[in-house]
Parts: sequence; C-alpha cells; structure tokens
Amino acid sequence: MSTEVRIPSIGFSTQEATLAEWMVADGATVEKGAPLYALELDKSTQEIESPASGTLRIKVEAGEVCEIGSLIAEIV
Amino acid sequence: MTTSASFTSKDLYEVYKKALKILIVDENIRGLIRSGAMHPVYYSPRGQEIVAAAMGVHLEPTDYLCTIYRGVHDQVAKGMPLDVLLAEYFMKVTGACKGKGGAMHITHPASGVMVTTGVVGSSMPIANGMAWASQIKGDDRVSVATFGDGASNIGAFHEALNMAAVWKLPTIFLCQNNRYQECTQYADSTSCEKISDRAAAYGPNMVGVSVDGNDAEEMWNAMRDAVARARSGAGPTLIEANTFRYMGHYFGDQAPYIPKEELAAEMAKDPMIRIRQQVLDSGVATEDDLVALKAELEAEFEAAVQFAKDSPEPELDEVYKDIYGAA
Repeated sequence: MSTEVRIPSIGFSTQEATLAEWMVADGATVEKGAPLYALELDKSTQEIESPASGTLRIKVEAGEVCEIGSLIAEIV
Repeated sequence: MTTSASFTSKDLYEVYKKALKILIVDENIRGLIRSGAMHPVYYSPRGQEIVAAAMGVHLEPTDYLCTIYRGVHDQVAKGMPLDVLLAEYFMKVTGACKGKGGAMHITHPASGVMVTTGVVGSSMPIANGMAWASQIKGDDRVSVATFGDGASNIGAFHEALNMAAVWKLPTIFLCQNNRYQECTQYADSTSCEKISDRAAAYGPNMVGVSVDGNDAEEMWNAMRDAVARARSGAGPTLIEANTFRYMGHYFGDQAPYIPKEELAAEMAKDPMIRIRQQVLDSGVATEDDLVALKAELEAEFEAAVQFAKDSPEPELDEVYKDIYGAA
C-alpha cells in the first residue's frame, strides 16, 4: 500500500508554500519519521518528516510553489 | 470511575494509561497533518498529558467537561471515542459534529464533552451553566472547565468564579498553566504570582490550589479533593495545574519567543518519561505490559483513522441544518 505525501497546512491562513528541497532522492529508501523535505513558508522554513517507510516516488520537483493539500510524492 | 481514597500504584497506572493514549493520539494527529492527510488548525497538548489524565480518572462518564481549542488531551481523558473524534478532524459526517465543527469545536455529549470553544475564557461560564442545571436537578454531576493561564486574565474568569462561589456550584475550574499565552510569557501579562491566589477574591466558598500538574500524584490528589467537594455540594475549586507546552502555540509554531534554555530545561523533565518510569518502579506493570499497551492504543488509533477516511463528507444540504434561524 502506498502513502501519499501532500503539502501540509501549517499555521494560519497559509494557502501555498514552496517545496524548497528534497532531502531524500527519488527512488531512494526513506524511514518513517526521517526528514523528507523542506517546506518554505512566509516566515519560516520547516523540515517535514516522512509519514511512512518505503521507496520515495517524487512527483513535484524542488523549487515549485505548491497549494496546501497538493500531492508531491508517494512512498511505496 | 471509582478511585481509592489515597493514591496507589493502581491509580498511577490508570493515569498512565490515559496519558499514553493522549500522547499517541497527539503524536499521530501531528503525523497526519505533516503528511498532508488532513488540515485542521491544531494546538498540540504535548507536555500537558498528566493534567488531563489525572482529571479524567476522577470523572464519571456523565460528568460534564467544557474544554478549549487545545483540548484533545481533555477530550481523550474524558473518554471520548477515537472514531467520532478523528472523523470530526477529517470533517466527515460520522464525526462528533457531523463534520461541520472540526477540530476546534469538538462536542460529544454522550461522553460528557459538552463544548470545545475557540473563544478564550468562555469555557468557564458555560461550565457554570451545566453545573447550575445539575444543582437544580440534583443529579450529582460535576462540571469541569479547562482553560489556560491567559484565560484567567479574561473578564469571564472573574464573572464565572464569582457566580460559582455565590451559588456554591459544582464547578471545577482547571487552569492549565503552561506559562505562555500564545506568544506572551506569564509574567508579562499576569499580575499575580500564582493563578490560585485569585481564589481568595471569591470568599470562603471558593478553594484555590496550585499543584505540579505534571506530577501524577499531586494532580490526582487535587482532582480527588475538588470532585469530592463539588459532589458534596460544598462548592467550586480553582486548580492551577502547572505544566508546559512543548510544541508552541499552534501546529507549525516555531516558538521563537520561548528561550531555548527554558525549552530545553522543560523538555528534560518530560512528564511522560517520568511517569513511565514511576509505573515500572512501582511494579504495577512490566516493560512487556507497557509495550503491549502502546501497541493496543496505536491499533485503536489506526482503526479510528481508517473509520474516518472511509466515511463520507457532509452533503451540501447539511449547511443549514443544526443552526438557529431559518435558512
């Protein structure tokens, strides 16, 4: 079963955020709880942890501005 | 729930069970938000688990709770089923408020969770209303209002404590003093050294106590006394439970206003690590018991999430139902 990775809603009135950096390469193995990517918001950049263990399938490249809730990767 | 007269290792274990459930619910909710699976505005109670757990073990299912937006620990401690709780977080029709209230407005009268309010200070007068109804009906219920240290500076705090004292209402005012009012330190906005000092203003019918809310025994004793006092008709109690919040104000808050040294010192005293060791030292449970308990609670949470995910969203025609006035 695959786990979807979507842009989280962090803080108030956030509509979009920049996917600043992937900390795990496409196709690499990732552990649940390990840093997965960096998310740049208006006032801060946060490391987001992986929601599951498995192989990362990146769907959106770093540098893109993403809407909250949009699908950026799957962990299979 | 029946508790003993003085704190025993069995009572410690009951507090731990509730506290661990709160911890698992909170950690998993944060995980779901981080992975983008759901989008509630969320206020983590991480660090305040013991306060709610020691409250919950003393309350009957029929007792009333009025809590606030940082309230998932209170709701779980009061015995709210996780499936209707999570379904509301996912805003599904099977949620406690049919998916129309969301995380900040959890209401579940079947388990005595009468309101979760986003208006700072408003849990107290609402709890008085419940308590007054109980007093009139003589139904032996107690009402608990939980709120933060900041809410004790709101006018409704004074109004509610005054009225509860005048009428000797069976209300317990449980102030969870986590030292920060949003981004403001306690001393920068609160005139007294202790919140419980304020009880004296309401005369002999009001009792005020301050305890280490992160200490299971102290917190358990304070709640035992307050519940006994309320049920006997002797009147209300103001409990100041001193605690700390580890995750800032709202989910994603980097909390730059908390000095790093202060946060590190508080994190080093994590009440969940302390109580786990106390349970093991008391001999009431083994390491294997605790591992099994954690697995059981994790499975309960997973089942609740699955229930929520599998449930439908509310239909559009629900918008004008359950409200006052004509559409």
